[in-house]
Amino acid sequence: MRHIIYFFLCFPFIISSQNDLLSEIDTEPTKNKKVIATFKGLKIVNFESTKLVSKQELTFIVSHRFGSLKNGIDTFFGLDEAVTRLNFVYGISDRINIGLSRSSFLKIYELSGKYKLIEQVENGFPFTLVGYNSFLINTALDKKNLPLLEFKHRLGYTAQILISKKINSNLSLEIAPTFFHDNYVLVNNQDNSQFAIGFGGRYKLGKRWSLNTDYGLHLNRANNSPFRNPLSIGIDLETGGHVFQMHFSNSLAMNTNGFLGQGSGDWSNGDIFFGFNLSRRF
Amino acid sequence: MKYSAIIIAFITLNTFAQTKYLTKTGVVNFEASVPSFEEVKANNKSVTAIINTENGEFASLALIKGFRFKNALMEEHFNENYAESDKYPKAIFKGQINDFTLKKITNKDTSFNIDGNLTFHGKTIEIKANKVSINIKNEILTISGNFLVKASDFDIDIPKIVKSKISENIKVIFNFSMLKK
Repeated sequence: MRHIIYFFLCFPFIISSQNDLLSEIDTEPTKNKKVIATFKGLKIVNFESTKLVSKQELTFIVSHRFGSLKNGIDTFFGLDEAVTRLNFVYGISDRINIGLSRSSFLKIYELSGKYKLIEQVENGFPFTLVGYNSFLINTALDKKNLPLLEFKHRLGYTAQILISKKINSNLSLEIAPTFFHDNYVLVNNQDNSQFAIGFGGRYKLGKRWSLNTDYGLHLNRANNSPFRNPLSIGIDLETGGHVFQMHFSNSLAMNTNGFLGQGSGDWSNGDIFFGFNLSRRF
Repeated sequence: MKYSAIIIAFITLNTFAQTKYLTKTGVVNFEASVPSFEEVKANNKSVTAIINTENGEFASLALIKGFRFKNALMEEHFNENYAESDKYPKAIFKGQINDFTLKKITNKDTSFNIDGNLTFHGKTIEIKANKVSINIKNEILTISGNFLVKASDFDIDIPKIVKSKISENIKVIFNFSMLKK
């Protein structure tokens, strides 16, 4: 009996000698952390990704789409021709971005807003939700060809919800239900209001490079439309301050309304375009 | 005999309840900048540290995702590709301050040597006879100091393309202001 009393009385001593210091502080679980690096570029290839520019940072993105590979050496596999988009994106906050761009495809000026609604959390909410809206002005339309043209015909709008999930440290996927409206469409039968669903993904092949792909499924394309759904495949290369994206796509246009509504190339006969997006943070 | 056991038990209880100092807001900075390039520097203000003033045992834990960089992209690269914080979320130091007694410590810095193991990115290295300064003011025990480590010690591979912009030698600076637990 006495021994038992001794034992219990010395219990605190026994316990603390077994308990090392580290275990006293290593108690907080590391869960409920925001998932990072779902996508590294602001775009997957053509589609917007759920990545935003951080607060008070300015990112400048130069995008090129060269001519069709189909013409071979004649146009040096398209490098003789290029469509360029210059895009500035500014982070008002970590959750709100505004962007201003000019694309040489139909001389389109674009004003965009991107806003993070919910973030994916480890052992928590399973998706990241981001909204994207843009307003476009097509300045290539000409009164000489279209005498009834009014300013409103130059306008277009995009509304998109981007839903992404980082499946594991290598694979991220995204789905992007999209509504877009062009006040002027090239094909008469085409509804001005159009719907599409975008699918995209990033797979990390190494620490600093990944395979990216996206596809846009147009839901109400006119029967006689010559345009095709855009499929793009590319590589992301990260070099410290910027992300370099190189890819092949069957769409020349880089604005959402453009690549979804007016993708003219065709993968089946090699009528595709080489391009890149180069971003630089300031 | 019985009484003496009880007294001893009380003493142990008492001393054990009062001989540890703890902080959850310790500061750890590290810097791997190269002159004339963008600074590569991070700061973590929520590092936990504990010391047993009975024997000089010391332990500290920092969450890798708690390190803040000058820009978010750098922070993302650090977490995703260098520290791989999804796989290795914590940096841990466990050590022993040599010849430590609370009596030596005044409101002015006293220098001690610390030995211990630092674990980061799944690798553990030994830190030997590193200087730390300790003082106590208004019941706050402050331990501060710095040490140098190499990125390669922790199997952190710096790619060729940025090798000239990130120093291989990384200076770690720490400051823990601890309160009696």
